[in-house]
Amino acid sequence: MASILRVNTLTDASSNNSVPMATVASGSAKAWINFNGTGTIAIKDSFNVTSITDDGTGNYTITIANDMVNAFYCSNLTSQAGATAYGFGTGDNTQTASALTGIFTIQHGGATQDVSHLSASINGDLA
Amino acid sequence: MASQLKVDTLTGVTTAGSIDVTGEGNSTTTNLQQGLAKGWLKFDQDNTTADDSHNVSSVTDVSTGVFNQNHSNNMANANYSTNITSGFYRVIGTNREDGGGTGVPDITSVAYFDVRYNSSGSTYTNIDMTSNTTVIHGDLA
Repeated sequence: MASILRVNTLTDASSNNSVPMATVASGSAKAWINFNGTGTIAIKDSFNVTSITDDGTGNYTITIANDMVNAFYCSNLTSQAGATAYGFGTGDNTQTASALTGIFTIQHGGATQDVSHLSASINGDLA
Repeated sequence: MASQLKVDTLTGVTTAGSIDVTGEGNSTTTNLQQGLAKGWLKFDQDNTTADDSHNVSSVTDVSTGVFNQNHSNNMANANYSTNITSGFYRVIGTNREDGGGTGVPDITSVAYFDVRYNSSGSTYTNIDMTSNTTVIHGDLA
Protein backbone atom coordinates (compact mmCIF):
# COMPACT_ATOMS: atom_id res chain seq x y z
CA MET A 1 0.00 0.00 0.00
CA ALA A 2 1.32 3.41 -0.94
CA SER A 3 2.00 5.73 1.96
CA ILE A 4 3.17 9.29 2.57
CA LEU A 5 5.70 10.16 5.24
CA ARG A 6 5.72 13.80 6.32
CA VAL A 7 9.01 14.68 7.92
CA ASN A 8 11.38 17.64 8.11
CA THR A 9 14.69 15.87 8.63
CA LEU A 10 16.19 12.49 7.86
CA THR A 11 18.87 11.19 10.19
CA ASP A 12 20.57 7.84 10.36
CA ALA A 13 19.83 5.56 13.30
CA SER A 14 23.02 6.70 15.02
CA SER A 15 21.80 10.32 14.84
CA ASN A 16 24.49 11.19 12.33
CA ASN A 17 24.32 12.36 8.72
CA SER A 18 21.24 14.47 9.21
CA VAL A 19 19.73 15.95 6.07
CA PRO A 20 16.71 18.25 5.83
CA MET A 21 14.03 17.18 3.37
CA ALA A 22 14.49 20.53 1.63
CA THR A 23 18.06 19.48 0.87
CA VAL A 24 16.90 16.11 -0.40
CA ALA A 25 14.43 17.80 -2.74
CA SER A 26 16.75 20.57 -3.83
CA GLY A 27 19.85 18.40 -4.07
CA SER A 28 18.30 15.74 -6.29
CA ALA A 29 18.88 15.97 -10.01
CA LYS A 30 15.55 16.80 -11.63
CA ALA A 31 16.52 15.30 -14.97
CA TRP A 32 19.37 13.47 -16.64
CA ILE A 33 20.00 11.85 -19.98
CA ASN A 34 22.49 9.96 -22.09
CA PHE A 35 21.69 9.99 -25.79
CA ASN A 36 23.13 9.14 -29.18
CA GLY A 37 23.38 12.31 -31.26
CA THR A 38 24.36 10.67 -34.54
CA GLY A 39 22.08 9.56 -37.38
CA THR A 40 18.57 9.12 -36.05
CA ILE A 41 19.18 10.45 -32.57
CA ALA A 42 18.00 8.25 -29.72
CA ILE A 43 17.75 8.35 -25.94
CA LYS A 44 19.83 5.60 -24.31
CA ASP A 45 18.56 6.28 -20.81
CA SER A 46 16.97 9.25 -19.08
CA PHE A 47 14.96 10.59 -16.18
CA ASN A 48 12.23 13.25 -16.47
CA VAL A 49 12.90 13.75 -20.19
CA THR A 50 10.10 13.67 -22.76
CA SER A 51 12.11 13.79 -25.96
CA ILE A 52 15.18 15.04 -27.76
CA THR A 53 15.30 17.03 -30.97
CA ASP A 54 17.97 17.14 -33.66
CA ASP A 55 18.36 20.84 -34.47
CA GLY A 56 21.25 20.41 -36.87
CA THR A 57 24.79 19.10 -36.84
CA GLY A 58 25.94 18.90 -33.24
CA ASN A 59 22.91 20.90 -32.09
CA TYR A 60 20.16 19.44 -29.90
CA THR A 61 17.20 20.21 -27.65
CA ILE A 62 16.17 18.18 -24.61
CA THR A 63 12.50 18.52 -23.60
CA ILE A 64 11.75 18.15 -19.91
CA ALA A 65 8.73 16.09 -18.79
CA ASN A 66 7.83 17.83 -15.52
CA ASP A 67 8.85 21.46 -16.04
CA MET A 68 11.24 23.44 -13.91
CA VAL A 69 9.87 26.51 -12.10
CA ASN A 70 11.92 28.86 -14.28
CA ALA A 71 14.86 28.89 -16.67
CA PHE A 72 17.47 29.51 -13.99
CA TYR A 73 18.33 25.90 -13.27
CA CYS A 74 21.79 24.39 -13.38
CA SER A 75 22.46 22.33 -16.51
CA ASN A 76 25.58 20.27 -17.06
CA LEU A 77 26.54 18.96 -20.48
CA THR A 78 29.29 16.60 -21.48
CA SER A 79 30.09 15.30 -24.92
CA GLN A 80 32.03 12.32 -26.06
CA ALA A 81 35.41 13.10 -27.54
CA GLY A 82 35.40 12.25 -31.22
CA ALA A 83 38.19 10.34 -32.92
CA THR A 84 39.78 13.55 -34.10
CA ALA A 85 37.53 15.94 -32.30
CA TYR A 86 37.93 18.39 -29.56
CA GLY A 87 34.38 17.71 -28.51
CA PHE A 88 32.64 19.17 -25.52
CA GLY A 89 29.06 20.18 -24.82
CA THR A 90 27.94 23.73 -24.31
CA GLY A 91 24.64 25.54 -23.88
CA ASP A 92 23.80 28.92 -25.34
CA ASN A 93 21.69 30.31 -22.50
CA THR A 94 18.41 29.83 -24.32
CA GLN A 95 17.16 27.14 -21.94
CA THR A 96 13.56 27.45 -20.76
CA ALA A 97 11.58 25.90 -17.92
CA SER A 98 10.45 23.11 -20.22
CA ALA A 99 13.46 22.53 -22.44
CA LEU A 100 17.21 22.59 -22.52
CA THR A 101 17.86 24.16 -25.89
CA GLY A 102 20.88 25.28 -27.80
CA ILE A 103 23.07 22.33 -26.91
CA PHE A 104 26.13 22.23 -29.12
CA THR A 105 29.01 19.81 -29.39
CA ILE A 106 32.09 21.54 -30.66
CA GLN A 107 35.15 20.25 -32.48
CA HIS A 108 38.32 21.89 -33.66
CA GLY A 109 37.97 25.41 -34.94
CA GLY A 110 34.53 25.84 -33.40
CA ALA A 111 32.59 23.69 -35.87
CA THR A 112 29.79 21.54 -34.51
CA GLN A 113 29.86 17.77 -34.69
CA ASP A 114 27.42 14.93 -34.06
CA VAL A 115 28.56 12.56 -31.31
CA SER A 116 27.30 9.18 -30.19
CA HIS A 117 27.44 9.90 -26.46
CA LEU A 118 26.08 13.11 -24.97
CA SER A 119 25.18 13.43 -21.31
CA ALA A 120 23.24 16.11 -19.47
CA SER A 121 21.92 16.62 -15.97
CA ILE A 122 19.70 19.29 -14.45
CA ASN A 123 19.56 20.58 -10.88
CA GLY A 124 17.12 23.22 -9.75
CA ASP A 125 13.54 23.75 -8.62
CA LEU A 126 10.58 21.91 -10.10
CA ALA A 127 7.48 23.91 -10.96
CA MET B 1 5.61 20.81 13.92
CA ALA B 2 9.18 19.92 13.07
CA SER B 3 9.87 16.22 12.87
CA GLN B 4 12.90 14.03 12.48
CA LEU B 5 12.98 10.50 11.11
CA LYS B 6 15.87 8.31 12.25
CA VAL B 7 16.51 5.53 9.82
CA ASP B 8 19.44 3.80 8.12
CA THR B 9 17.75 2.77 4.90
CA LEU B 10 14.85 4.12 2.92
CA THR B 11 12.93 1.64 0.78
CA GLY B 12 9.82 2.15 -1.32
CA VAL B 13 6.66 0.28 -0.36
CA THR B 14 5.22 -0.42 -3.82
CA THR B 15 8.63 -0.68 -5.48
CA ALA B 16 11.68 -1.00 -3.30
CA GLY B 17 13.84 1.19 -5.52
CA SER B 18 11.32 3.97 -6.05
CA ILE B 19 10.42 6.71 -3.58
CA ASP B 20 8.74 9.98 -4.57
CA VAL B 21 9.77 13.30 -3.08
CA THR B 22 7.58 16.39 -3.36
CA GLY B 23 9.37 19.07 -5.33
CA GLU B 24 10.01 22.70 -4.47
CA GLY B 25 6.73 23.83 -6.06
CA ASN B 26 4.84 21.70 -3.52
CA SER B 27 2.91 19.79 -6.19
CA THR B 28 5.11 17.91 -8.66
CA THR B 29 6.97 14.92 -7.32
CA THR B 30 10.43 13.76 -8.31
CA ASN B 31 11.90 10.32 -7.87
CA LEU B 32 14.45 10.10 -5.08
CA GLN B 33 16.47 7.22 -6.49
CA GLN B 34 16.58 8.63 -10.01
CA GLY B 35 17.62 12.06 -8.80
CA LEU B 36 20.47 10.92 -6.60
CA ALA B 37 23.95 11.16 -8.05
CA LYS B 38 25.33 7.61 -8.21
CA GLY B 39 28.90 8.79 -8.14
CA TRP B 40 30.98 11.97 -8.06
CA LEU B 41 34.66 12.74 -8.01
CA LYS B 42 37.06 15.63 -7.53
CA PHE B 43 40.26 14.44 -9.18
CA ASP B 44 43.63 16.17 -9.44
CA GLN B 45 45.24 14.38 -12.35
CA ASP B 46 48.31 16.60 -12.23
CA ASN B 47 49.16 15.07 -8.84
CA THR B 48 47.13 11.87 -9.33
CA THR B 49 45.05 12.56 -6.24
CA ALA B 50 41.37 11.87 -5.70
CA ASP B 51 40.51 14.81 -3.44
CA ASP B 52 37.03 13.58 -2.60
CA SER B 53 34.48 11.21 -4.05
CA HIS B 54 31.30 9.18 -3.66
CA ASN B 55 30.92 5.59 -4.91
CA VAL B 56 34.38 5.64 -6.44
CA SER B 57 36.65 2.71 -5.56
CA SER B 58 39.68 4.07 -7.39
CA VAL B 59 40.79 6.27 -10.24
CA THR B 60 43.02 4.90 -12.98
CA ASP B 61 45.40 7.41 -14.55
CA VAL B 62 45.32 5.96 -18.07
CA SER B 63 47.41 8.55 -19.87
CA THR B 64 47.80 12.29 -20.13
CA GLY B 65 44.32 13.81 -19.77
CA VAL B 66 42.65 10.42 -19.67
CA PHE B 67 41.38 8.72 -16.54
CA ASN B 68 38.94 6.00 -15.56
CA GLN B 69 36.55 6.43 -12.66
CA ASN B 70 36.01 2.97 -11.18
CA HIS B 71 32.71 2.53 -9.37
CA SER B 72 32.35 0.86 -5.96
CA ASN B 73 28.79 -0.18 -6.73
CA ASN B 74 28.33 -0.82 -10.44
CA MET B 75 25.71 0.73 -12.65
CA ALA B 76 22.93 -1.41 -14.15
CA ASN B 77 24.04 -0.75 -17.72
CA ALA B 78 26.40 1.45 -19.72
CA ASN B 79 23.76 4.02 -20.63
CA TYR B 80 24.21 6.27 -17.62
CA SER B 81 24.84 10.00 -17.76
CA THR B 82 28.43 11.18 -17.26
CA ASN B 83 29.26 14.84 -16.75
CA ILE B 84 32.63 16.45 -16.19
CA THR B 85 33.82 20.00 -15.64
CA SER B 86 37.45 20.58 -16.45
CA GLY B 87 38.06 23.82 -18.24
CA PHE B 88 41.26 24.99 -19.86
CA TYR B 89 42.17 28.29 -21.44
CA ARG B 90 45.38 30.15 -22.13
CA VAL B 91 46.93 32.47 -24.69
CA ILE B 92 50.42 31.84 -25.99
CA GLY B 93 51.55 34.58 -28.32
CA THR B 94 48.72 35.03 -30.77
CA ASN B 95 47.40 31.52 -30.26
CA ARG B 96 44.35 30.92 -28.11
CA GLU B 97 44.19 27.47 -26.58
CA ASP B 98 41.03 26.27 -24.89
CA GLY B 99 39.32 23.02 -24.10
CA GLY B 100 37.53 20.94 -21.59
CA GLY B 101 36.52 17.53 -20.37
CA THR B 102 34.71 14.86 -22.32
CA GLY B 103 33.34 11.61 -21.03
CA VAL B 104 31.40 8.45 -21.74
CA PRO B 105 30.10 5.54 -19.70
CA ASP B 106 32.62 2.88 -20.65
CA ILE B 107 31.17 -0.16 -18.92
CA THR B 108 28.95 -0.67 -15.89
CA SER B 109 31.95 -0.49 -13.58
CA VAL B 110 33.97 2.25 -15.25
CA ALA B 111 33.36 5.75 -16.59
CA TYR B 112 35.94 7.09 -19.04
CA PHE B 113 36.98 10.75 -19.12
CA ASP B 114 39.26 12.52 -21.57
CA VAL B 115 40.43 16.12 -21.11
CA ARG B 116 41.64 17.87 -24.25
CA TYR B 117 42.44 21.32 -25.55
CA ASN B 118 42.62 22.79 -29.00
CA SER B 119 46.32 23.37 -29.50
CA SER B 120 46.56 24.63 -33.04
CA GLY B 121 43.08 24.97 -34.43
CA SER B 122 43.29 21.67 -36.23
CA THR B 123 44.56 19.22 -33.64
CA TYR B 124 43.92 18.48 -30.00
CA THR B 125 46.29 17.80 -27.13
CA ASN B 126 45.49 15.93 -23.96
CA ILE B 127 46.30 17.62 -20.70
CA ASP B 128 46.42 16.70 -16.99
CA MET B 129 44.32 19.20 -15.05
CA THR B 130 44.50 19.77 -11.30
CA SER B 131 40.72 20.04 -11.05
CA ASN B 132 38.38 17.59 -12.71
CA THR B 133 34.91 17.28 -11.22
CA THR B 134 32.60 14.52 -12.41
CA VAL B 135 29.09 13.39 -11.60
CA ILE B 136 27.17 10.30 -12.69
CA HIS B 137 23.42 9.76 -12.85
CA GLY B 138 21.62 6.59 -13.85
CA ASP B 139 20.47 3.25 -12.52
CA LEU B 140 22.48 1.27 -10.01
CA ALA B 141 22.71 -2.46 -10.58
